[in-house]
Amino acid sequence: MEEKKELDEIINFLIQVGKLKERKRRGWLAHKIKNPETTASHIFRATLLAWVLARKKKGLNIEKVLKMTLIHDLCEVHTKDETPYDPLLPDNLQDREKVEKVLDKWPNFTLKQKREKIFKKYKREFRSLKKLVSGLPQDLKEEIINLWREFENGLSEEGRFVKQIDKAENYLQGMEYWKRYGKIRQKLWARWAKEIFDDSVIVKFFRALDDKLIK
Amino acid sequence: MTERKKFYLTKKGLEGFKKQYQFLKSIRAAKIKGEVPKIWESEDLNPEYLSFQEDLNFIETRLAELENILKNSELIKPPPEEKARFVDLGATVTIQVDGDKDEFTIVGTLEANPALGKISNESPVGGALLGHKIGDEVVVSSPIKVTYKIKKIKYI
Repeated sequence: MEEKKELDEIINFLIQVGKLKERKRRGWLAHKIKNPETTASHIFRATLLAWVLARKKKGLNIEKVLKMTLIHDLCEVHTKDETPYDPLLPDNLQDREKVEKVLDKWPNFTLKQKREKIFKKYKREFRSLKKLVSGLPQDLKEEIINLWREFENGLSEEGRFVKQIDKAENYLQGMEYWKRYGKIRQKLWARWAKEIFDDSVIVKFFRALDDKLIK
Repeated sequence: MTERKKFYLTKKGLEGFKKQYQFLKSIRAAKIKGEVPKIWESEDLNPEYLSFQEDLNFIETRLAELENILKNSELIKPPPEEKARFVDLGATVTIQVDGDKDEFTIVGTLEANPALGKISNESPVGGALLGHKIGDEVVVSSPIKVTYKIKKIKYI
């Protein structure tokens, strides 16, 4: 690719990615959080969290971890960010009666529904990411797509670590909102966290976080 | 890639990793020869299979990861009858928590997928349930206390 065209494509990519600075995360909107964080702000703190915690893990490729965290939600440029409550949440989050009813209980799906949900989400996000990076130089495009697949499918130690970092940042944000606004079902969240974190460094972080914010 | 001591895998999980390894090896061989592999269709929901036309670099990295997993794997075997009333790796446990009924299978970290009810033995809940039997109430504190009452344990 000639240099001018390459830079032009990179600028297009950055303009698209810039939309994530404004994209308010649906989960917080559903919880009626005022001025909730955006996808870009989640990525920013998740990357910092990945860096500081990856230092405690022997043998992890930190450069890979950081790049993976930076790109893990880029697919949301062209698709919605999915919450654990989807597809039960109504499209119109102003329908408070329906939203509150959904948020009251941790969603319970059958195994078939769970598999279908994961599969559809993966396909939608993969398609969206490919669209976003389509104009980029081949090597960059492949690197982003491969990092995302490693993350999404947990295909490497780094991928499995970043997957939990993503959720740990989400948990931290949830607990901050709970402290500030009290609108988060914090007991449900704590239950969820105890079932999903299994990386020893992240489990320690989660326990320290609870001690600091909840006690 | 980091080295781990042991990867605990169910029979199905181990077979899945072996299948992926063989599959990627065949794709790598075809790529090296310059052959374009025919479209490979599978009913398997693992999305990894759906986009096999990867660059060689990705395939090499994944093969190295799989080799490490297979080399360090330990098969989860059903326990002897006298121990089957206790929760161990591979157990599917029906629990009652906060008024909800739920079911988990306790697996090793590589197969863990809480969204599909597969909980890692290294997670706070997975680890706490190990060694318990039907009727036990297992409290996991963090400091929010969550109590899991074990209703049923089965091994496949």
